[in-house]
Amino acid sequence: MKLLYYPGCTLKTSAKNLEKSAFAIAEKLGHEMVEMEDWTCCGVVASLTDDDLMHHLAPLRNLVYAEDQGEETIVTLCDMCCNTLKQTNQRVKDIPDDLETLNSFMDRENDYKGTIKIMHFLEFLRDEVSFTVLKKMVKNPLKGMKIMPYYGCMMLRPREVAIDDAEEPTIMQDLLKALGAEVIDNPFKIECCGSYHTIEEKTLVSNRAHKITNYAIDRGSDAIMLSCPLCRFNLDVRGKEAEKIFNNYKQLPVYYYTQLIAVALGLDPKFYGFEEHVVDPVLLLKKKGVFEK
Amino acid sequence: MSKKLQGNLNLNTIQLKKGELLTEVEELCGENLFGCYQCGTCSAGCPFVDEMDLSPDEVIRYIILDRKEVLNSKTIWLCSSCFTCAERCPRDINITKIMEALRQIILRKKIDRTNIKNITKDEKETIPQMAFVSLFRKNVG
Amino acid sequence: MPLKTYDKKKDHDLGIPLEDDYFYEEPEEIIENKDAPQLESTIQTVTQRAEKIKKRVINADVLVVGAGISGMQAALDTADKGYKVVIIDKTSTIGGAMVKLDKTFPTNDCSICTAAPKMVELSRHPNIELITYAGINNLQGKPGKFKAQIWRKSKYVDPDKCTGCDDCAEVCPVEIVNPFDEKLSTRKAIYIEFPQAVPIVYTIDYDACIGCGSCDRVCEPEAISFLEKSEEIEVNVGSVILATGFEVFEPTEMRKEYGYGKYDNVITALQFERLLSSFGPTEGKVKRLSDAKIPKSIGWIQCVGSRSEQLGFPYCSRVCCMYATKEASIAKEANPDIDITIYYMDIRAYGKDFQQYYDHAKDLGVKYIRGRPSSVYENKDKSLTIKYKDTLTGEIKEDTVEMLVLSTAIKPNEENKRLGEALGIEVDENGFFKQQELLTDPIQSTREGVFLAGCIQGPKDIPDSVSMASGAAAKAVAPIKDRERHIGKEFPPEKDVKGKKPRIGVYVCHCGKNVANYLDVEKVTEEAKKLPNVEHAEHIMFVCSEDSCKKIKEAIEGKKLNRIIVAACSPRTHGGLFQDTLMEAGLNKYLFEMANIRNHCSWVHSDDWDAATEKAIRLVRSSVAKARGLEALSEEEFSIYPATLIIGGGISGMKAALALADMGIKSIIVEKEKQLGGRLTNLHSMFPSDTKTEDILNPIINKIKKNKLITVMTDSELDKLEGYIGNYKGTIKQKGKTMEIEFGTIIVATGFREIDLKGKYEYGKNDNIISQTELETKIKANKLKEPKNVVMINCAGAMEEERPYCCRVGCGVAIKNAKLISQKYPKSKIYMLYRDMRVFGKEEEEYFAEVLKKHHVTMIRYPGDKKPGIILDKKDPKKGSVSVKVYDDILNEEMTLPADLLVLTVNTEGGAATEKLKNMLKVPVDAAGFFIETHAKIKPLDFSTSGVYMCGAAHYPKNLVDSIAQAEGAASRAAIPIAQEKMKGEGIVSEVNEALCRGCGLCESACAYSAIEMKPHPQDPSRMLAEVNRALCKGCGSCAAACLSSAIEQKGYKSDQINVMIAALCEKGKAK
Repeated sequence: MKLLYYPGCTLKTSAKNLEKSAFAIAEKLGHEMVEMEDWTCCGVVASLTDDDLMHHLAPLRNLVYAEDQGEETIVTLCDMCCNTLKQTNQRVKDIPDDLETLNSFMDRENDYKGTIKIMHFLEFLRDEVSFTVLKKMVKNPLKGMKIMPYYGCMMLRPREVAIDDAEEPTIMQDLLKALGAEVIDNPFKIECCGSYHTIEEKTLVSNRAHKITNYAIDRGSDAIMLSCPLCRFNLDVRGKEAEKIFNNYKQLPVYYYTQLIAVALGLDPKFYGFEEHVVDPVLLLKKKGVFEK
Repeated sequence: MSKKLQGNLNLNTIQLKKGELLTEVEELCGENLFGCYQCGTCSAGCPFVDEMDLSPDEVIRYIILDRKEVLNSKTIWLCSSCFTCAERCPRDINITKIMEALRQIILRKKIDRTNIKNITKDEKETIPQMAFVSLFRKNVG
Repeated sequence: MPLKTYDKKKDHDLGIPLEDDYFYEEPEEIIENKDAPQLESTIQTVTQRAEKIKKRVINADVLVVGAGISGMQAALDTADKGYKVVIIDKTSTIGGAMVKLDKTFPTNDCSICTAAPKMVELSRHPNIELITYAGINNLQGKPGKFKAQIWRKSKYVDPDKCTGCDDCAEVCPVEIVNPFDEKLSTRKAIYIEFPQAVPIVYTIDYDACIGCGSCDRVCEPEAISFLEKSEEIEVNVGSVILATGFEVFEPTEMRKEYGYGKYDNVITALQFERLLSSFGPTEGKVKRLSDAKIPKSIGWIQCVGSRSEQLGFPYCSRVCCMYATKEASIAKEANPDIDITIYYMDIRAYGKDFQQYYDHAKDLGVKYIRGRPSSVYENKDKSLTIKYKDTLTGEIKEDTVEMLVLSTAIKPNEENKRLGEALGIEVDENGFFKQQELLTDPIQSTREGVFLAGCIQGPKDIPDSVSMASGAAAKAVAPIKDRERHIGKEFPPEKDVKGKKPRIGVYVCHCGKNVANYLDVEKVTEEAKKLPNVEHAEHIMFVCSEDSCKKIKEAIEGKKLNRIIVAACSPRTHGGLFQDTLMEAGLNKYLFEMANIRNHCSWVHSDDWDAATEKAIRLVRSSVAKARGLEALSEEEFSIYPATLIIGGGISGMKAALALADMGIKSIIVEKEKQLGGRLTNLHSMFPSDTKTEDILNPIINKIKKNKLITVMTDSELDKLEGYIGNYKGTIKQKGKTMEIEFGTIIVATGFREIDLKGKYEYGKNDNIISQTELETKIKANKLKEPKNVVMINCAGAMEEERPYCCRVGCGVAIKNAKLISQKYPKSKIYMLYRDMRVFGKEEEEYFAEVLKKHHVTMIRYPGDKKPGIILDKKDPKKGSVSVKVYDDILNEEMTLPADLLVLTVNTEGGAATEKLKNMLKVPVDAAGFFIETHAKIKPLDFSTSGVYMCGAAHYPKNLVDSIAQAEGAASRAAIPIAQEKMKGEGIVSEVNEALCRGCGLCESACAYSAIEMKPHPQDPSRMLAEVNRALCKGCGSCAAACLSSAIEQKGYKSDQINVMIAALCEKGKAK
């Protein structure tokens, strides 16, 4: 199956490893990720004021491109892109007048007809591939790894665009179980990592990373699995910096779910892309004997 | 007597369309603030509340009481739009949108919160792009 | 090898009649272990049933659907009037939700103890046919001629043969989650819901049963009958009362942030009730589910699912604040070291004595924190951390508790939609049943002849449900009022025990754990057996249960007992029940005696096992001593004058009169004012429908005037009253003239008034400071000038030392009036200063939320110890603007608000006539001048003086809807004696020994009930003699105490009877 893939800014820069591993597992599963033509930035955060249509333009334009390319579904890897595209899609569906205004504003583009469905890659794995199928393909089960799934905000809230329950999501723990890992639950799994405050409020974000991770450590967790590139950066990099703030604190390694799937499916390590991580993710995998390198 | 807030906006320069903060906020966010029961759910669940000078429920209270100094609150800039408050509010008030409305009132007066020039080269090279786009969307008018 | 195989028919629960519930493949095998005669009997049974294939038809007067406390009350009220009632319940027992509760607020009465007698009364009532495990599928026809199709599911147990011995459940291999215990325990596939279930017949859970036949093999009376089929029953009635109750929200799909279902020690409040209950899964011990440890700290989160515009229900569930307070108080009283916190938004302690109950809980050390927690997480030790903001201190905090209770919302029954379709009545958007006219006809459903009672049209507490149920009984009688009535129960002829040797039976009750956990019931029984004349003694879990009463009857027959003693609780609540049992066995009911070993013993000596046991032994010994000398007594029969006097012509009084007239009963309304209408006359409109008062009053007054059964006396008051139930004579003063009228029963509907603030809040000193009533009168007269700033202060003169109570209606009235001002003058800024917003229940909460949003009323919470201060204008204190200084509890700061209109929500008290009426009617009144009912929970409309009833705000301030429900309820109560036409007086009355009487008259003046009159001696007219009116005498014994020559004695409590009791009590020597 061909998947129309919308990358977004970060997937082409600091989260190339997320893209790389996702592409590899898609291929292994018999699907082809095809990058959308002419894609533009989605704006990352959805516009939240009622009178502001301008900021819906960027996401909408991408939806038009998808329609132009004859597709019905866009697959995204970035949580924030997924959220923003979905929110715009929702808004123009809820308020047809807004769609009309936006359509008339876009001179060069075709009108958006509202046919596009946006899908998070995780959603795709759950709903189209199914974790049961995935489980059967596992070659290196993540045996002995105690992993805390971390969801963050954007795949769960607002409810209208969520891919799982806002308070008790299970998609990542179901995936982890399929991969053979032990799941460590954490009430902070749905709390914000600090998001863009990572630029101006570094300590604040380090505190967040510490709070989220420390509970997991306390419960015997030895790694974190997540999806969003900004969450990855905050937990990994700012989390590492938190070691300087909190005594005896040691940040856990952070994995994208795509990386862990790639490991579990026994894909070539060149697809893992662990080099960009600050807290060494390889060490644990070796220690647990999941893979030898 | 209100709380001492950190910001140094000259509130007199902030002209509100209908003279009332409440009206402008309600227009921007489409939420009915008077539905609030001041139960504190939003504040208790906010991941940044410890750093805030006004908790989210206090922000609502200030708007209801037409206290424009709320615009000088650090709170509105600390909100990262994680939607936890909006998700849990028993009164179905989208506090996230209220925060955005307050930010927009300021940003639309061409008053930026973030000075882009202060961002270092190192930061630009290491921090994911999405963080910058978010920051500019949230803090720069 | 399976004995029996059967096809499970999936549509069993849908109520579609099936050919055979069980399909036998190999009939020979079923009976392989039984001998020949049984085979024959089985064949016989099959043949009999085949003959009975014709649908059963029951002709009755009223059908009641649902047998919880509301349904039971409605059924009893109707049946007591002589009409035939069919009552059905979907469970295998009756009692509904109330029996799941441990105690009830605000009196902490044991819930099952108050409900059980009603359950037994219902099952024994000659006019009531009880069908359990049944539902209604269809209703056709019209008022007076309804045809209902009832589907009764088979219990697969023969009710006549089952003894309730529990042998079957013991051997049943199937364990399933027990819904009665709110999933905290398991039960078998063959079960009874709870020990006091009525009827006490086991039921096979069709869906859980594996058909192994174990129960059948052990059942000695052979009560298990797999051939017993479900059946369709046709019921022909004149009206239908719906009382199917409510469900409790389980936060598994919504409000997951509190961890219910995820964390072991997060439970719902109803689950907590089951933990408290003596017949619950932990036998009354509060234990953590994770490790059975006794928690050192417990938290309650209020409004879980209630008052929620998203992820919940928009309405207030009305009872949660009080049940949480009750549960917390009980836990705290049982163990003062336990740390208890309730997290709330507003504490809605709105009812009679509720605020005092709440204050008492605070005194006990229950902590109340204003803040709605955002989330909960579990710690390693299975304790729970609650994240919340204490909105009164402004602190964001985390508390850790060892157990967390969620006060979850009351929600409509899932089945309501189907039921509504089957019955042709409408449900609202939440799933509650709709009323035809919410404001003026709250009991009437959207279909004529079908009435609503209890929680089915919105959350309600027990007394409000009971009142409404009585009201439904009144309305249900209207279409069938002219049908033949059946009064009284036929008892077998009384055995003559005179001169016969006393043969005494003693029954010692465990009362669950109430008695048995604190003293040795075994020993008490053994000691009783040793006493002279005691022929039989045994101890039983609940002597009041139906099967125990059956046992007593059997013993009276079999062992020829002629005196019965029950050592249990109070004769006040349970005496009548046992006396009925005696009469059913042909014994005079006064040959019964109760030893109160619970209230007088186990409860008060709960910390001393040995002493309590010894005392119980002595109490029983003393009762036995008295019982030896008991004699059969007779009761005086007297007739009832068929009219009701209604004191007060306000909305309650008028509605009561109309309800009585609909039942064909005459009434006289006595109103002190010039016209009917009461308080409503001065008010503008009523919430929640904002109907103008004249639109409410005028149609009702017109109806009253046209109704020939109602006599209206305005400008009048009741001046004198004599007589007794059934035979009252009253003197009415009307414009200086007096006249005498006769009536059989009395309804007090004298309403309430605002209290005198005595200058508080500068009331009376400035023209701009007015009360809510004055405001409404002004608005009504169109005299309110446009105010710029309006300040309303709620709770003026309420909830303080002098008047510790909440006025119940103030918050609702204030919010309605805020809306009125805002509608007329949209530019006016309105501030409402409140302590807790007590807009309880469904309609009020929704109305409140809407007014806030639409009219932008600014709410400011002030603390009870920092009352708002009023500053008058210095230059013009009389007419100038005022300002109000208020401490905002939420922002923790003082603010000053300008006000050109200051409206005080003034506390209330009983009506002006209360004091005089109290003495005339010989009824009690509380400190606030409100009349005191017999029982706060299950007899909210009755006085202890029979024949006198109350309704509306005379009982306590209440809104229009509740007042009308009560008024119709009071009409139902007052109609019962009239419908019965004749009543019986007490058997325990005073008796004069003419030889000893000196004629001094001391007894006459001692009698509170005017039952004694001094009359000349028939033989010697120079000598005076006391004469007792047996109908009036209440058997109180005051006369006997007053008499200096022991010439007057109380039957059943004669001096020699008392003396032997005392002697037996004081008898030396510890029991061996």
